[in-house]
Amino acid sequence: MDRGRAVLAAVALAAALALPSAAGPFWTGLVTQMYIFGLLALSVDLLLGHAGLFSLTHASFFAVSAYTVAILQVRYAVPTALAAPAGILAGTLLALLFGLAVRTRGVYFILITIAFGYVVWGVAHRWSSFTGGDNGVTNVPFPALGAAAITSHTQYYYLVLAAVIVCGLGYRVFMRSPFGLGLRGIKASESRMQSLGFRTSAHLYAAFVLSGALASFAGVLYVYYNKFVNPVAASFPVSVEAALMAIVGGTGTIIGPFLGAAVVLGLRNWVSSFFELHAAVMGAVFIATVLWAPQGLVGIAGRLRARFGKAKERTP
Amino acid sequence: MSNTALEVGALAKVFGGLAAVDGVSLKVAAGERRVLIGPNGAGKTTLFHCITGTLKPTSGQVTLFGRDVTRLAEYSRTALGMGRTFQITNVFPDLTLGENLALAIVGTDRRKWVLHRPMQAYADVRRQALESLERVGLAGRADQPAKLVSYGERRQLELALALNTRPKVLFLDEPCAGLSPAERQRISQMIGELPRDITLLMIEHDMDVALGLADRVTVLHQGRVILEGSPDEVRANAQVRDVYFGHA
Ligand SMILES: Nc1ncnc2c1ncn2[C@@H]1O[C@H](COP(=O)(O)OP(=O)(O)O)[C@@H](O)[C@H]1O
Ligand SMILES: [Mg+2]
Repeated sequence: MDRGRAVLAAVALAAALALPSAAGPFWTGLVTQMYIFGLLALSVDLLLGHAGLFSLTHASFFAVSAYTVAILQVRYAVPTALAAPAGILAGTLLALLFGLAVRTRGVYFILITIAFGYVVWGVAHRWSSFTGGDNGVTNVPFPALGAAAITSHTQYYYLVLAAVIVCGLGYRVFMRSPFGLGLRGIKASESRMQSLGFRTSAHLYAAFVLSGALASFAGVLYVYYNKFVNPVAASFPVSVEAALMAIVGGTGTIIGPFLGAAVVLGLRNWVSSFFELHAAVMGAVFIATVLWAPQGLVGIAGRLRARFGKAKERTP
Repeated sequence: MSNTALEVGALAKVFGGLAAVDGVSLKVAAGERRVLIGPNGAGKTTLFHCITGTLKPTSGQVTLFGRDVTRLAEYSRTALGMGRTFQITNVFPDLTLGENLALAIVGTDRRKWVLHRPMQAYADVRRQALESLERVGLAGRADQPAKLVSYGERRQLELALALNTRPKVLFLDEPCAGLSPAERQRISQMIGELPRDITLLMIEHDMDVALGLADRVTVLHQGRVILEGSPDEVRANAQVRDVYFGHA
Protein backbone atom coordinates (compact mmCIF):
# COMPACT_ATOMS: atom_id res chain seq x y z
CA MET A 1 0.00 0.00 0.00
CA ASP A 2 1.45 3.40 -0.94
CA ARG A 3 1.66 6.39 1.37
CA GLY A 4 -1.36 8.28 0.02
CA ARG A 5 -3.57 5.25 0.41
CA ALA A 6 -2.36 4.59 3.94
CA VAL A 7 -3.18 8.18 4.90
CA LEU A 8 -6.59 7.90 3.25
CA ALA A 9 -7.32 4.66 5.12
CA ALA A 10 -6.25 6.23 8.44
CA VAL A 11 -8.49 9.25 7.86
CA ALA A 12 -11.42 7.04 6.88
CA LEU A 13 -10.93 4.90 9.97
CA ALA A 14 -10.74 7.96 12.24
CA ALA A 15 -13.92 9.34 10.68
CA ALA A 16 -15.68 6.00 11.08
CA LEU A 17 -14.67 5.80 14.74
CA ALA A 18 -15.75 9.38 15.45
CA LEU A 19 -19.06 9.17 13.60
CA PRO A 20 -21.45 8.13 16.42
CA SER A 21 -20.37 10.91 18.77
CA ALA A 22 -19.94 13.50 16.00
CA ALA A 23 -23.05 12.88 13.92
CA GLY A 24 -25.71 11.39 16.19
CA PRO A 25 -28.04 8.41 15.96
CA PHE A 26 -29.61 9.10 12.55
CA TRP A 27 -26.32 9.04 10.70
CA THR A 28 -24.98 6.20 12.83
CA GLY A 29 -27.96 4.10 11.81
CA LEU A 30 -27.64 4.99 8.14
CA VAL A 31 -23.92 4.21 8.08
CA THR A 32 -24.49 0.92 9.91
CA GLN A 33 -26.87 -0.03 7.10
CA MET A 34 -24.31 1.11 4.57
CA TYR A 35 -21.75 -1.28 6.09
CA ILE A 36 -24.20 -4.16 6.16
CA PHE A 37 -25.52 -3.69 2.63
CA GLY A 38 -21.99 -2.88 1.43
CA LEU A 39 -20.99 -6.32 2.69
CA LEU A 40 -23.91 -7.87 0.82
CA ALA A 41 -22.87 -5.95 -2.31
CA LEU A 42 -19.30 -7.15 -1.80
CA SER A 43 -20.53 -10.75 -1.75
CA VAL A 44 -22.38 -10.15 -5.02
CA ASP A 45 -19.28 -8.56 -6.48
CA LEU A 46 -17.14 -11.55 -5.53
CA LEU A 47 -18.92 -13.26 -8.42
CA LEU A 48 -19.68 -10.26 -10.62
CA GLY A 49 -16.42 -8.35 -10.42
CA HIS A 50 -14.03 -11.29 -10.32
CA ALA A 51 -15.67 -14.25 -12.01
CA GLY A 52 -18.05 -12.34 -14.29
CA LEU A 53 -21.17 -14.11 -12.96
CA PHE A 54 -24.19 -11.87 -12.41
CA SER A 55 -26.19 -13.35 -9.52
CA LEU A 56 -29.64 -12.05 -8.69
CA THR A 57 -30.33 -14.42 -5.82
CA HIS A 58 -28.10 -13.07 -3.07
CA ALA A 59 -31.05 -11.76 -1.08
CA SER A 60 -31.87 -15.47 -0.58
CA PHE A 61 -28.74 -16.22 1.46
CA PHE A 62 -29.04 -12.90 3.26
CA ALA A 63 -32.66 -13.59 4.23
CA VAL A 64 -32.35 -17.30 5.03
CA SER A 65 -29.54 -16.45 7.39
CA ALA A 66 -31.50 -13.57 8.94
CA TYR A 67 -34.61 -15.74 9.39
CA THR A 68 -32.58 -18.54 10.93
CA VAL A 69 -31.05 -16.20 13.50
CA ALA A 70 -34.39 -14.52 14.24
CA ILE A 71 -36.33 -17.76 14.66
CA LEU A 72 -33.65 -19.36 16.83
CA GLN A 73 -33.22 -16.30 19.02
CA VAL A 74 -36.85 -15.29 19.36
CA ARG A 75 -38.75 -18.55 19.30
CA TYR A 76 -36.22 -20.91 20.86
CA ALA A 77 -34.16 -18.47 22.95
CA VAL A 78 -30.96 -19.84 21.42
CA PRO A 79 -27.96 -17.68 22.40
CA THR A 80 -26.10 -15.58 19.82
CA ALA A 81 -23.04 -17.80 20.01
CA LEU A 82 -25.09 -20.56 18.39
CA ALA A 83 -27.73 -18.60 16.49
CA ALA A 84 -25.29 -16.46 14.48
CA PRO A 85 -23.16 -19.39 13.22
CA ALA A 86 -26.38 -21.30 12.52
CA GLY A 87 -27.54 -18.40 10.35
CA ILE A 88 -24.33 -18.43 8.33
CA LEU A 89 -24.52 -22.20 8.05
CA ALA A 90 -28.12 -22.14 6.81
CA GLY A 91 -27.36 -19.50 4.17
CA THR A 92 -24.23 -21.35 3.08
CA LEU A 93 -26.09 -24.66 2.77
CA LEU A 94 -28.56 -22.93 0.49
CA ALA A 95 -25.61 -21.59 -1.54
CA LEU A 96 -24.33 -25.17 -1.87
CA LEU A 97 -27.63 -25.97 -3.57
CA PHE A 98 -28.08 -22.78 -5.61
CA GLY A 99 -24.43 -22.96 -6.65
CA LEU A 100 -25.46 -25.59 -9.18
CA ALA A 101 -26.46 -22.58 -11.29
CA VAL A 102 -22.78 -22.32 -12.31
CA ARG A 103 -23.48 -25.07 -14.82
CA THR A 104 -24.97 -22.24 -16.89
CA ARG A 105 -23.44 -18.99 -18.06
CA GLY A 106 -24.49 -15.53 -19.13
CA VAL A 107 -28.17 -14.77 -19.38
CA TYR A 108 -29.19 -18.31 -18.34
CA PHE A 109 -27.28 -17.91 -15.11
CA ILE A 110 -29.06 -14.63 -14.44
CA LEU A 111 -32.48 -16.13 -15.18
CA ILE A 112 -31.91 -19.18 -12.99
CA THR A 113 -30.75 -17.07 -10.08
CA ILE A 114 -33.83 -14.85 -10.44
CA ALA A 115 -36.02 -17.96 -10.29
CA PHE A 116 -34.18 -19.24 -7.19
CA GLY A 117 -34.69 -15.88 -5.53
CA TYR A 118 -38.42 -15.97 -6.15
CA VAL A 119 -38.68 -19.47 -4.68
CA VAL A 120 -37.11 -18.29 -1.41
CA TRP A 121 -39.24 -15.16 -1.32
CA GLY A 122 -42.34 -17.28 -1.98
CA VAL A 123 -41.50 -19.63 0.89
CA ALA A 124 -40.91 -16.72 3.27
CA HIS A 125 -44.16 -15.14 2.20
CA ARG A 126 -46.40 -18.22 2.11
CA TRP A 127 -45.14 -20.57 4.79
CA SER A 128 -46.51 -18.26 7.44
CA SER A 129 -46.77 -20.87 10.23
CA PHE A 130 -42.97 -21.02 10.22
CA THR A 131 -41.81 -17.67 8.86
CA GLY A 132 -44.55 -15.45 10.26
CA GLY A 133 -45.78 -14.56 6.77
CA ASP A 134 -45.80 -10.89 5.88
CA ASN A 135 -45.17 -9.85 9.47
CA GLY A 136 -42.06 -11.97 9.64
CA VAL A 137 -40.24 -12.49 12.90
CA THR A 138 -40.03 -9.54 15.26
CA ASN A 139 -38.39 -8.62 18.57
CA VAL A 140 -34.93 -9.90 17.73
CA PRO A 141 -32.62 -8.86 20.59
CA PHE A 142 -29.16 -7.33 20.26
CA PRO A 143 -26.43 -9.96 20.11
CA ALA A 144 -24.90 -11.11 23.36
CA LEU A 145 -21.92 -13.34 24.08
CA GLY A 146 -22.30 -14.62 27.63
CA ALA A 147 -22.06 -11.61 29.89
CA ALA A 148 -20.81 -9.36 27.08
CA ALA A 149 -23.93 -7.94 25.47
CA ILE A 150 -24.55 -5.16 22.98
CA THR A 151 -27.01 -2.72 24.52
CA SER A 152 -27.18 0.21 22.12
CA HIS A 153 -27.12 1.04 18.42
CA THR A 154 -23.86 2.88 18.96
CA GLN A 155 -22.20 -0.23 20.37
CA TYR A 156 -23.66 -2.26 17.55
CA TYR A 157 -22.25 0.23 15.06
CA TYR A 158 -18.76 -0.49 16.34
CA LEU A 159 -19.32 -4.23 16.19
CA VAL A 160 -20.42 -3.98 12.56
CA LEU A 161 -17.49 -1.70 11.75
CA ALA A 162 -15.07 -4.25 13.19
CA ALA A 163 -16.75 -7.04 11.22
CA VAL A 164 -16.53 -5.04 8.00
CA ILE A 165 -12.84 -4.31 8.54
CA VAL A 166 -12.06 -7.97 9.20
CA CYS A 167 -14.05 -9.01 6.11
CA GLY A 168 -12.36 -6.34 3.99
CA LEU A 169 -8.89 -7.47 5.02
CA GLY A 170 -9.75 -11.11 4.44
CA TYR A 171 -11.25 -10.25 1.07
CA ARG A 172 -8.08 -8.42 0.13
CA VAL A 173 -6.01 -11.56 0.70
CA PHE A 174 -8.58 -13.61 -1.17
CA MET A 175 -8.50 -11.26 -4.19
CA ARG A 176 -4.75 -11.72 -4.54
CA SER A 177 -4.67 -15.43 -3.82
CA PRO A 178 -4.19 -18.05 -6.53
CA PHE A 179 -7.88 -18.89 -6.20
CA GLY A 180 -8.93 -15.24 -6.64
CA LEU A 181 -6.59 -14.79 -9.59
CA GLY A 182 -8.10 -17.95 -11.04
CA LEU A 183 -11.53 -16.32 -10.96
CA ARG A 184 -10.24 -13.36 -12.91
CA GLY A 185 -8.69 -15.80 -15.36
CA ILE A 186 -12.05 -17.49 -15.85
CA LYS A 187 -13.70 -14.13 -16.44
CA ALA A 188 -11.10 -13.29 -19.08
CA SER A 189 -10.99 -16.69 -20.84
CA GLU A 190 -12.61 -19.78 -19.46
CA SER A 191 -11.39 -21.94 -22.35
CA ARG A 192 -7.78 -20.99 -21.68
CA MET A 193 -8.20 -21.73 -18.00
CA GLN A 194 -9.42 -25.23 -18.82
CA SER A 195 -6.48 -25.87 -21.06
CA LEU A 196 -4.18 -24.73 -18.23
CA GLY A 197 -5.62 -27.45 -16.00
CA PHE A 198 -8.32 -25.56 -14.09
CA ARG A 199 -11.61 -27.29 -13.45
CA THR A 200 -13.47 -24.06 -14.01
CA SER A 201 -16.95 -25.22 -12.96
CA ALA A 202 -15.61 -26.40 -9.60
CA HIS A 203 -13.73 -23.14 -9.22
CA LEU A 204 -16.89 -21.11 -9.89
CA TYR A 205 -18.94 -23.34 -7.63
CA ALA A 206 -16.50 -22.80 -4.75
CA ALA A 207 -16.63 -19.06 -5.39
CA PHE A 208 -20.41 -19.13 -5.40
CA VAL A 209 -20.55 -20.89 -2.03
CA LEU A 210 -17.99 -18.51 -0.56
CA SER A 211 -19.98 -15.58 -1.85
CA GLY A 212 -23.16 -17.07 -0.38
CA ALA A 213 -21.43 -17.44 2.98
CA LEU A 214 -20.46 -13.76 2.93
CA ALA A 215 -24.03 -12.74 2.03
CA SER A 216 -25.23 -14.92 4.92
CA PHE A 217 -22.89 -13.12 7.28
CA ALA A 218 -24.34 -9.80 6.10
CA GLY A 219 -27.78 -11.30 6.87
CA VAL A 220 -26.75 -11.98 10.46
CA LEU A 221 -25.52 -8.42 10.91
CA TYR A 222 -28.74 -7.17 9.33
CA VAL A 223 -31.19 -8.99 11.56
CA TYR A 224 -29.52 -7.89 14.78
CA TYR A 225 -29.58 -4.31 13.52
CA ASN A 226 -33.08 -4.35 12.13
CA LYS A 227 -34.66 -6.30 15.02
CA PHE A 228 -37.03 -8.04 12.65
CA VAL A 229 -37.02 -9.81 9.32
CA ASN A 230 -39.85 -10.20 6.85
CA PRO A 231 -40.15 -11.41 3.24
CA VAL A 232 -38.91 -8.06 1.93
CA ALA A 233 -35.37 -9.14 2.92
CA ALA A 234 -35.65 -12.07 0.49
CA SER A 235 -37.23 -10.08 -2.31
CA PHE A 236 -35.91 -9.53 -5.81
CA PRO A 237 -35.33 -5.77 -5.33
CA VAL A 238 -32.82 -6.51 -2.55
CA SER A 239 -30.79 -8.70 -4.91
CA VAL A 240 -31.00 -6.07 -7.62
CA GLU A 241 -29.96 -3.28 -5.27
CA ALA A 242 -26.97 -5.26 -4.04
CA ALA A 243 -25.77 -5.68 -7.62
CA LEU A 244 -26.55 -2.02 -8.29
CA MET A 245 -24.41 -0.98 -5.33
CA ALA A 246 -21.46 -2.99 -6.63
CA ILE A 247 -21.81 -1.54 -10.13
CA VAL A 248 -22.34 2.06 -9.05
CA GLY A 249 -19.41 1.90 -6.65
CA GLY A 250 -17.10 -0.01 -8.97
CA THR A 251 -16.87 -3.77 -9.53
CA GLY A 252 -13.75 -5.77 -8.81
CA THR A 253 -12.73 -3.57 -5.89
CA ILE A 254 -13.30 -3.74 -2.13
CA ILE A 255 -14.27 -0.15 -1.44
CA GLY A 256 -16.57 0.12 -4.47
CA PRO A 257 -19.52 -1.89 -3.11
CA PHE A 258 -19.45 0.16 0.11
CA LEU A 259 -19.39 3.45 -1.80
CA GLY A 260 -22.22 2.13 -3.93
CA ALA A 261 -24.17 1.20 -0.80
CA ALA A 262 -23.67 4.73 0.51
CA VAL A 263 -24.98 6.22 -2.73
CA VAL A 264 -27.97 3.91 -3.04
CA LEU A 265 -29.03 4.07 0.61
CA GLY A 266 -28.33 7.79 0.84
CA LEU A 267 -30.29 8.56 -2.30
CA ARG A 268 -33.18 6.39 -1.23
CA ASN A 269 -33.33 8.06 2.14
CA TRP A 270 -33.16 11.53 0.71
CA VAL A 271 -35.28 11.10 -2.42
CA SER A 272 -38.05 9.11 -0.76
CA SER A 273 -38.63 11.99 1.65
CA PHE A 274 -40.08 14.08 -1.17
CA PHE A 275 -40.56 11.75 -4.16
CA GLU A 276 -42.54 8.54 -4.18
CA LEU A 277 -40.95 6.97 -7.21
CA HIS A 278 -37.53 6.61 -5.69
CA ALA A 279 -37.10 3.34 -7.55
CA ALA A 280 -37.17 5.32 -10.79
CA VAL A 281 -34.34 7.49 -9.49
CA MET A 282 -32.32 4.34 -8.73
CA GLY A 283 -32.98 3.17 -12.26
CA ALA A 284 -31.73 6.46 -13.64
CA VAL A 285 -28.58 6.27 -11.51
CA PHE A 286 -27.95 2.77 -12.77
CA ILE A 287 -28.39 3.76 -16.42
CA ALA A 288 -26.13 6.77 -15.98
CA THR A 289 -23.46 4.56 -14.41
CA VAL A 290 -23.57 2.01 -17.19
CA LEU A 291 -23.47 4.72 -19.88
CA TRP A 292 -20.96 7.18 -18.48
CA ALA A 293 -19.04 5.51 -15.68
CA PRO A 294 -18.88 1.76 -16.28
CA GLN A 295 -16.07 1.49 -13.72
CA GLY A 296 -18.30 3.15 -11.11
CA LEU A 297 -17.24 5.72 -8.54
CA VAL A 298 -13.87 4.06 -8.08
CA GLY A 299 -13.26 4.46 -11.82
CA ILE A 300 -14.23 8.13 -11.69
CA ALA A 301 -11.86 8.68 -8.77
CA GLY A 302 -9.09 6.98 -10.73
CA ARG A 303 -9.69 9.18 -13.76
CA LEU A 304 -9.73 12.33 -11.65
CA ARG A 305 -6.51 11.31 -9.96
CA ALA A 306 -4.87 10.64 -13.31
CA ARG A 307 -5.89 14.08 -14.58
CA PHE A 308 -4.98 15.85 -11.36
CA GLY A 309 -1.65 13.99 -11.17
CA LYS A 310 -0.81 15.03 -14.73
CA ALA A 311 -1.72 18.65 -14.03
CA LYS A 312 0.58 18.62 -11.04
CA GLU A 313 3.43 17.26 -13.12
CA ARG A 314 3.01 20.02 -15.68
CA THR A 315 3.21 22.86 -13.17
CA PRO A 316 6.88 23.44 -12.35
CA MET B 1 3.72 -49.70 -26.53
CA SER B 2 5.08 -47.38 -23.87
CA ASN B 3 7.09 -45.39 -26.39
CA THR B 4 3.90 -44.34 -28.13
CA ALA B 5 3.01 -40.94 -26.68
CA LEU B 6 -0.25 -40.37 -28.48
CA GLU B 7 -2.58 -42.59 -30.41
CA VAL B 8 -5.68 -41.36 -32.17
CA GLY B 9 -8.11 -43.98 -33.48
CA ALA B 10 -10.70 -43.34 -36.20
CA LEU B 11 -11.50 -39.94 -34.81
CA ALA B 12 -14.41 -38.03 -36.33
CA LYS B 13 -16.07 -34.72 -35.60
CA VAL B 14 -19.26 -33.73 -37.38
CA PHE B 15 -20.59 -30.16 -37.27
CA GLY B 16 -24.18 -30.23 -38.45
CA GLY B 17 -23.79 -32.19 -41.65
CA LEU B 18 -20.12 -31.41 -42.17
CA ALA B 19 -17.48 -33.95 -41.17
CA ALA B 20 -14.68 -31.55 -40.21
CA VAL B 21 -12.59 -34.54 -39.09
CA ASP B 22 -13.48 -37.73 -40.90
CA GLY B 23 -11.87 -40.82 -39.41
CA VAL B 24 -8.33 -39.74 -38.57
CA SER B 25 -5.88 -42.22 -37.06
CA LEU B 26 -2.44 -41.19 -35.86
CA LYS B 27 0.36 -42.70 -33.84
CA VAL B 28 3.03 -40.40 -32.48
CA ALA B 29 6.11 -41.81 -30.74
CA ALA B 30 7.40 -40.31 -27.49
CA GLY B 31 9.84 -37.51 -28.27
CA GLU B 32 8.74 -37.29 -31.90
CA ARG B 33 8.08 -33.97 -33.63
CA ARG B 34 5.09 -34.29 -35.83
CA VAL B 35 3.90 -31.51 -38.08
CA LEU B 36 0.36 -31.39 -39.48
CA ILE B 37 -0.16 -29.58 -42.72
CA GLY B 38 -3.13 -29.14 -44.99
CA PRO B 39 -5.13 -26.39 -46.65
CA ASN B 40 -7.44 -24.09 -44.70
CA GLY B 41 -10.51 -25.91 -43.48
CA ALA B 42 -8.80 -29.32 -43.64
CA GLY B 43 -9.80 -29.97 -40.04
CA LYS B 44 -6.42 -29.54 -38.36
CA THR B 45 -7.61 -27.24 -35.58
CA THR B 46 -10.71 -29.35 -34.99
CA LEU B 47 -8.51 -32.44 -34.71
CA PHE B 48 -6.39 -30.68 -32.05
CA HIS B 49 -9.53 -29.60 -30.19
CA CYS B 50 -10.77 -33.20 -30.08
CA ILE B 51 -7.41 -34.59 -28.95
CA THR B 52 -6.93 -32.06 -26.14
CA GLY B 53 -10.55 -32.19 -25.01
CA THR B 54 -11.59 -28.70 -26.04
CA LEU B 55 -14.28 -30.39 -28.14
CA LYS B 56 -15.91 -33.79 -27.76
CA PRO B 57 -15.36 -35.96 -30.82
CA THR B 58 -18.39 -37.50 -32.50
CA SER B 59 -16.59 -40.86 -32.50
CA GLY B 60 -13.14 -42.37 -32.11
CA GLN B 61 -10.55 -42.72 -29.33
CA VAL B 62 -7.63 -40.77 -27.96
CA THR B 63 -4.92 -42.57 -26.00
CA LEU B 64 -2.16 -40.79 -24.10
CA PHE B 65 0.81 -42.93 -23.05
CA GLY B 66 -1.37 -46.02 -23.26
CA ARG B 67 -4.23 -44.52 -21.28
CA ASP B 68 -7.63 -43.95 -22.85
CA VAL B 69 -8.44 -40.28 -22.28
CA THR B 70 -11.38 -40.00 -24.69
CA ARG B 71 -13.89 -39.38 -21.92
CA LEU B 72 -11.70 -37.17 -19.78
CA ALA B 73 -12.31 -33.44 -19.47
CA GLU B 74 -9.78 -31.03 -20.86
CA TYR B 75 -8.35 -30.08 -17.44
CA SER B 76 -7.70 -33.76 -16.67
CA ARG B 77 -5.85 -34.19 -19.94
CA THR B 78 -3.76 -31.16 -19.07
CA ALA B 79 -2.99 -32.73 -15.70
CA LEU B 80 -1.90 -35.91 -17.52
CA GLY B 81 0.55 -33.96 -19.67
CA MET B 82 -1.18 -32.38 -22.65
CA GLY B 83 -0.36 -28.73 -23.24
CA ARG B 84 -1.51 -26.52 -26.07
CA THR B 85 -1.57 -23.16 -27.75
CA PHE B 86 -4.48 -21.77 -29.73
CA GLN B 87 -4.51 -20.62 -33.34
CA ILE B 88 -6.51 -17.59 -32.22
CA THR B 89 -4.48 -16.06 -29.40
CA ASN B 90 -6.09 -17.03 -26.11
CA VAL B 91 -4.42 -15.24 -23.20
CA PHE B 92 -5.84 -13.21 -20.29
CA PRO B 93 -5.95 -9.62 -21.59
CA ASP B 94 -6.77 -7.94 -18.25
CA LEU B 95 -4.04 -9.72 -16.32
CA THR B 96 -0.36 -8.85 -16.38
CA LEU B 97 2.05 -11.12 -18.20
CA GLY B 98 3.33 -12.27 -14.81
CA GLU B 99 -0.19 -13.13 -13.66
CA ASN B 100 -0.87 -14.92 -16.94
CA LEU B 101 2.11 -17.16 -16.31
CA ALA B 102 1.36 -17.60 -12.61
CA LEU B 103 -1.99 -19.12 -13.59
CA ALA B 104 -0.28 -21.49 -16.02
CA ILE B 105 2.18 -22.52 -13.31
CA VAL B 106 -0.35 -23.25 -10.55
CA GLY B 107 -2.97 -24.67 -12.94
CA THR B 108 -1.43 -28.13 -12.75
CA ASP B 109 -0.82 -28.20 -9.01
CA ARG B 110 -2.89 -27.94 -5.86
CA ARG B 111 -1.93 -24.35 -5.12
CA LYS B 112 -4.65 -23.17 -7.48
CA TRP B 113 -7.11 -23.80 -4.63
CA VAL B 114 -5.27 -21.66 -2.08
CA LEU B 115 -7.21 -18.58 -0.99
CA HIS B 116 -5.52 -17.53 2.23
CA ARG B 117 -2.16 -16.51 0.76
CA PRO B 118 -1.40 -13.97 -1.94
CA MET B 119 0.05 -15.34 -5.18
CA GLN B 120 3.04 -13.08 -4.63
CA ALA B 121 3.98 -15.04 -1.52
CA TYR B 122 5.07 -17.89 -3.78
CA ALA B 123 8.59 -16.83 -4.67
CA ASP B 124 9.15 -19.89 -6.84
CA VAL B 125 6.11 -19.07 -9.00
CA ARG B 126 7.36 -15.53 -9.52
CA ARG B 127 10.84 -16.77 -10.35
CA GLN B 128 9.57 -19.37 -12.80
CA ALA B 129 7.29 -16.77 -14.45
CA LEU B 130 10.16 -14.31 -14.89
CA GLU B 131 12.48 -17.00 -16.27
CA SER B 132 9.82 -18.14 -18.66
CA LEU B 133 9.12 -14.60 -19.89
CA GLU B 134 12.81 -14.11 -20.46
CA ARG B 135 13.06 -17.34 -22.42
CA VAL B 136 10.30 -16.31 -24.83
CA GLY B 137 11.79 -12.83 -25.25
CA LEU B 138 9.50 -10.91 -22.90
CA ALA B 139 12.03 -10.03 -20.20
CA GLY B 140 11.09 -7.02 -18.08
CA ARG B 141 7.43 -7.10 -19.14
CA ALA B 142 6.02 -9.07 -16.20
CA ASP B 143 3.94 -6.20 -14.81
CA GLN B 144 2.35 -5.09 -18.09
CA PRO B 145 -1.24 -6.08 -18.82
CA ALA B 146 -1.41 -8.55 -21.69
CA LYS B 147 -3.83 -6.32 -23.59
CA LEU B 148 -1.18 -3.63 -23.88
CA VAL B 149 1.55 -5.71 -25.55
CA SER B 150 1.87 -6.22 -29.29
CA TYR B 151 0.28 -9.07 -31.21
CA GLY B 152 3.63 -10.75 -31.69
CA GLU B 153 4.35 -10.56 -27.99
CA ARG B 154 0.98 -12.07 -27.19
CA ARG B 155 1.88 -14.99 -29.44
CA GLN B 156 5.07 -15.41 -27.42
CA LEU B 157 3.01 -15.31 -24.23
CA GLU B 158 0.66 -17.90 -25.72
CA LEU B 159 3.61 -20.25 -26.14
CA ALA B 160 4.94 -19.51 -22.66
CA LEU B 161 1.55 -20.38 -21.14
CA ALA B 162 1.56 -23.80 -22.77
CA LEU B 163 5.16 -24.51 -21.73
CA ASN B 164 4.39 -23.81 -18.07
CA THR B 165 1.77 -26.53 -17.69
CA ARG B 166 4.64 -29.07 -17.65
CA PRO B 167 3.50 -30.73 -20.89
CA LYS B 168 4.72 -34.13 -21.98
CA VAL B 169 2.90 -33.74 -25.28
CA LEU B 170 2.68 -30.23 -26.66
CA PHE B 171 0.18 -29.11 -29.31
CA LEU B 172 1.01 -25.91 -31.17
CA ASP B 173 -1.66 -24.55 -33.50
CA GLU B 174 0.05 -22.29 -36.04
CA PRO B 175 2.38 -20.65 -33.52
CA CYS B 176 3.81 -18.35 -36.19
CA ALA B 177 0.51 -17.23 -37.73
CA GLY B 178 0.39 -13.50 -38.38
CA LEU B 179 3.96 -12.82 -37.27
CA SER B 180 6.62 -10.80 -39.05
CA PRO B 181 9.47 -12.79 -40.64
CA ALA B 182 11.80 -11.85 -37.78
CA GLU B 183 9.31 -12.90 -35.07
CA ARG B 184 8.55 -16.04 -37.04
CA GLN B 185 12.17 -17.00 -37.06
CA ARG B 186 12.58 -16.36 -33.35
CA ILE B 187 9.56 -18.50 -32.45
CA SER B 188 10.50 -21.37 -34.72
CA GLN B 189 14.01 -21.31 -33.31
CA MET B 190 12.54 -21.43 -29.81
CA ILE B 191 10.39 -24.40 -30.76
CA GLY B 192 13.41 -26.10 -32.27
CA GLU B 193 15.27 -25.68 -28.99
CA LEU B 194 12.57 -27.33 -26.87
CA PRO B 195 13.84 -30.35 -24.95
CA ARG B 196 13.53 -33.54 -26.97
CA ASP B 197 11.61 -35.32 -24.23
CA ILE B 198 8.58 -33.18 -25.06
CA THR B 199 6.56 -34.82 -27.80
CA LEU B 200 5.49 -32.14 -30.23
CA LEU B 201 2.52 -31.87 -32.56
CA MET B 202 2.43 -28.70 -34.57
CA ILE B 203 0.13 -27.27 -37.19
CA GLU B 204 2.10 -25.08 -39.53
CA HIS B 205 1.35 -23.35 -42.79
CA ASP B 206 4.86 -22.28 -43.63
CA MET B 207 6.37 -25.24 -45.51
CA ASP B 208 9.95 -24.27 -44.73
CA VAL B 209 9.29 -24.01 -41.01
CA ALA B 210 7.21 -27.17 -41.06
CA LEU B 211 9.63 -29.36 -42.96
CA GLY B 212 12.60 -27.94 -41.05
CA LEU B 213 11.25 -28.91 -37.66
CA ALA B 214 9.42 -32.12 -38.37
CA ASP B 215 10.57 -35.68 -37.82
CA ARG B 216 7.44 -36.78 -39.60
CA VAL B 217 4.67 -34.97 -41.40
CA THR B 218 0.96 -35.75 -41.64
CA VAL B 219 -1.03 -34.19 -44.43
CA LEU B 220 -4.73 -33.57 -43.86
CA HIS B 221 -7.26 -32.81 -46.53
CA GLN B 222 -11.01 -32.57 -46.10
CA GLY B 223 -10.86 -34.15 -42.68
CA ARG B 224 -8.75 -37.13 -43.76
CA VAL B 225 -5.09 -38.11 -43.66
CA ILE B 226 -3.94 -38.25 -47.24
CA LEU B 227 -0.28 -38.84 -46.53
CA GLU B 228 2.11 -39.47 -43.71
CA GLY B 229 5.87 -39.61 -44.10
CA SER B 230 9.25 -38.00 -43.66
CA PRO B 231 9.66 -34.37 -44.73
CA ASP B 232 11.46 -35.52 -47.87
CA GLU B 233 8.70 -37.91 -48.84
CA VAL B 234 6.12 -35.18 -48.36
CA ARG B 235 8.11 -32.68 -50.35
CA ALA B 236 8.42 -35.16 -53.21
CA ASN B 237 4.78 -36.19 -53.25
CA ALA B 238 2.88 -34.90 -56.23
CA GLN B 239 -0.56 -35.26 -54.64
CA VAL B 240 0.47 -33.07 -51.72
CA ARG B 241 1.82 -30.42 -54.01
CA ASP B 242 -1.43 -30.48 -55.87
CA VAL B 243 -3.74 -30.37 -52.81
CA TYR B 244 -1.69 -28.20 -50.55
CA PHE B 245 -0.08 -25.65 -52.78
CA GLY B 246 -3.12 -25.65 -55.01
CA HIS B 247 -5.24 -24.20 -52.19
CA ALA B 248 -2.76 -22.31 -50.06
N1 LIG C 1 -17.47 -24.75 -34.21
C1 LIG C 1 -17.69 -25.05 -35.51
N2 LIG C 1 -18.94 -25.14 -35.98
C2 LIG C 1 -19.17 -25.46 -37.25
N3 LIG C 1 -18.21 -25.68 -38.16
C3 LIG C 1 -16.93 -25.59 -37.76
C4 LIG C 1 -16.61 -25.27 -36.42
N4 LIG C 1 -15.25 -25.25 -36.29
C5 LIG C 1 -14.76 -25.56 -37.51
N5 LIG C 1 -15.75 -25.75 -38.39
C6 LIG C 1 -15.59 -26.14 -39.80
O1 LIG C 1 -14.83 -27.31 -39.82
C7 LIG C 1 -13.91 -27.30 -40.89
C8 LIG C 1 -12.51 -27.50 -40.37
O2 LIG C 1 -12.11 -26.32 -39.67
P1 LIG C 1 -10.70 -26.24 -38.94
O3 LIG C 1 -10.52 -27.43 -38.09
O4 LIG C 1 -10.64 -24.93 -38.29
O5 LIG C 1 -9.68 -26.32 -40.15
P2 LIG C 1 -8.14 -25.91 -40.22
O6 LIG C 1 -7.63 -25.68 -38.85
O7 LIG C 1 -7.49 -27.08 -40.90
O8 LIG C 1 -8.06 -24.68 -41.08
C9 LIG C 1 -14.11 -25.97 -41.62
O9 LIG C 1 -14.96 -26.20 -42.71
C10 LIG C 1 -14.80 -25.12 -40.59
O10 LIG C 1 -15.63 -24.18 -41.19
MG1 LIG D 1 -6.81 -24.01 -37.98
